[in-house]
Amino acid sequence: MRHPNQATLALHSGGDLGPFARWRTSRHLAQCERCREEVAAFDEVRQSLPGLAEVPDLPWNRLAAEIKANVRLGLAAGECVRSVDPPLRQSGLIHGGRVVVAFACAAVLVVTGMVLERPVPSAAPEEGPLVQNTPYGIEVTAGGETLGLTNNGVQRVTYSLDAQGSMGARYVDPETGYVTVNTVYVQ
Amino acid sequence: MFNNVRLNNAQNRLWLLGLLGASCLLAQDAALPNCSVTVDVPNDAPVALLGISNAPCSATAHGPALMLDLHLSLTLKNTGVNRIHGVTLRVVSQEAALGGVGSVYQPSLNVGPGEAFPVHIDTELMRTAQLAGGPAVQVHLDGVLFQDLTFYGPDRLHSRRIMTAGEMEAQRDRDYLKRLLAEQGLPALRQAMLRIQARQDSVPRLQGRVVRGRTLTTAGVAAAAPEREEKFAFLQFPDSPVEPVQGSLRIAGNEARTPVIDVRNRSGKAVKYVELGWVLTDPAGRDYLAGSMPSTDSNFSLAPGSTARVRQDSTLGFSTGGQPVSIQTMTGFVTQVEFADGKVWVPSRRNLENPFLAKVLAPSIEEERLASLYVRKGIETVVEELKKF
Repeated sequence: MRHPNQATLALHSGGDLGPFARWRTSRHLAQCERCREEVAAFDEVRQSLPGLAEVPDLPWNRLAAEIKANVRLGLAAGECVRSVDPPLRQSGLIHGGRVVVAFACAAVLVVTGMVLERPVPSAAPEEGPLVQNTPYGIEVTAGGETLGLTNNGVQRVTYSLDAQGSMGARYVDPETGYVTVNTVYVQ
Repeated sequence: MFNNVRLNNAQNRLWLLGLLGASCLLAQDAALPNCSVTVDVPNDAPVALLGISNAPCSATAHGPALMLDLHLSLTLKNTGVNRIHGVTLRVVSQEAALGGVGSVYQPSLNVGPGEAFPVHIDTELMRTAQLAGGPAVQVHLDGVLFQDLTFYGPDRLHSRRIMTAGEMEAQRDRDYLKRLLAEQGLPALRQAMLRIQARQDSVPRLQGRVVRGRTLTTAGVAAAAPEREEKFAFLQFPDSPVEPVQGSLRIAGNEARTPVIDVRNRSGKAVKYVELGWVLTDPAGRDYLAGSMPSTDSNFSLAPGSTARVRQDSTLGFSTGGQPVSIQTMTGFVTQVEFADGKVWVPSRRNLENPFLAKVLAPSIEEERLASLYVRKGIETVVEELKKF
């Protein structure tokens, strides 16, 4: 069976696929438990980090205006040097203009990058430490920070949950043949 | 010539700017420097660190957070005179800052003096800020268990009890398989390996979450269902030194909260730790092993004949295949008892062969290891392995 890739499953989870892709993915999910689990994991992540589900209100108009202004600045700089006698390539001003444009574009790029990065995981505020298993292992999250122990890609894993606040994951290490028991604890 | 040089300089500046801009974007995946690891093995420990090999650490910036992905392979050597049967390492990330800690326990070892063995640690860290100057991960030796059940280590994670119980279960299962081999021969041992494999595949599995104190309720499932008090049902093992007497918990949808169980010591020895397993039954009658409930209060003490209360102020949530599992009933049974003298009791195979438990319990650690050995190397290797213990 050919499985949809992670991006398709993520888009399906968020309801962002087109009609045909959605239909095709739904048909696959009806037959494939593994992919259903992947989608469920995406759902869970989206629910626990609601901030991730939406692009924040970016000041797109302001950013666009800044970019336009910088482009105009560059063009204006170009116009300034056009009337000067020496050939264009020999003008010192045009180099200065290019540098100004380049700096302006770089500044816009950096500002945009910073704004876009800011909303990413503000790691859903939990009142107390949370211990849980994930598709890749087990983790403890406290104060927005996470410590996880992963299963080294092993599929057959036995998890155990402890009411005191710990979780274990046990598997046979495929390289060594030894059993590994990972545990995360709330302290 | 001069102008050409200037032009080249300008182009270089543009390239530099481009690279800077690109690096801003690529910083999302770039390796960051703070992937350092320290491994703390005391000088007087019965193991020595021979080497660490770590795959390249991947550090990924996610907005204000930083995700580190570390894969370590430690090689430890038995420098003592006893055979080592278990090792536990404590894994912390700038301990003071994080409320959690991890451990990697390698059970069912059989490492003689002078022999070396590997321990793999695969860890992920996500922090909200750039890591401070210290190591990203610290690994400390928490305990070493020897063949004769003696122990070495600081035991900050109760490794002594955990490894002793694990070793007793392993001895129990090895003894059973050795007896099977002696009495019924190779075909019976092969059948036993296949049964373990089948059980490993068929046991229903839950995903779980636990927080202390409050409700989890992310999916709103628990919020939609009214909370009710449910009494525990109990499975009694005739030879258990402790028996569960009564217990209850609060249930709402797929969440169980604040479990309380009264236990009675029916042995002649003082008990300092009791652990009970839970089996969850959903409204459709499907059973799952949900978890365990330890008596972790350091003051817990159960004199012979006395009764005490085991209570956890926590909330557990359960799901399978991404779907919440509603809780209809809970059934408890004793899985471990530690006496005041450090001796540990674990259920016998006869106890675990109870048809209700046999449906939900995964094979033990030793059964899983031996069955894996059988799959990879055949039944003769399993026989040789059993002879080593």
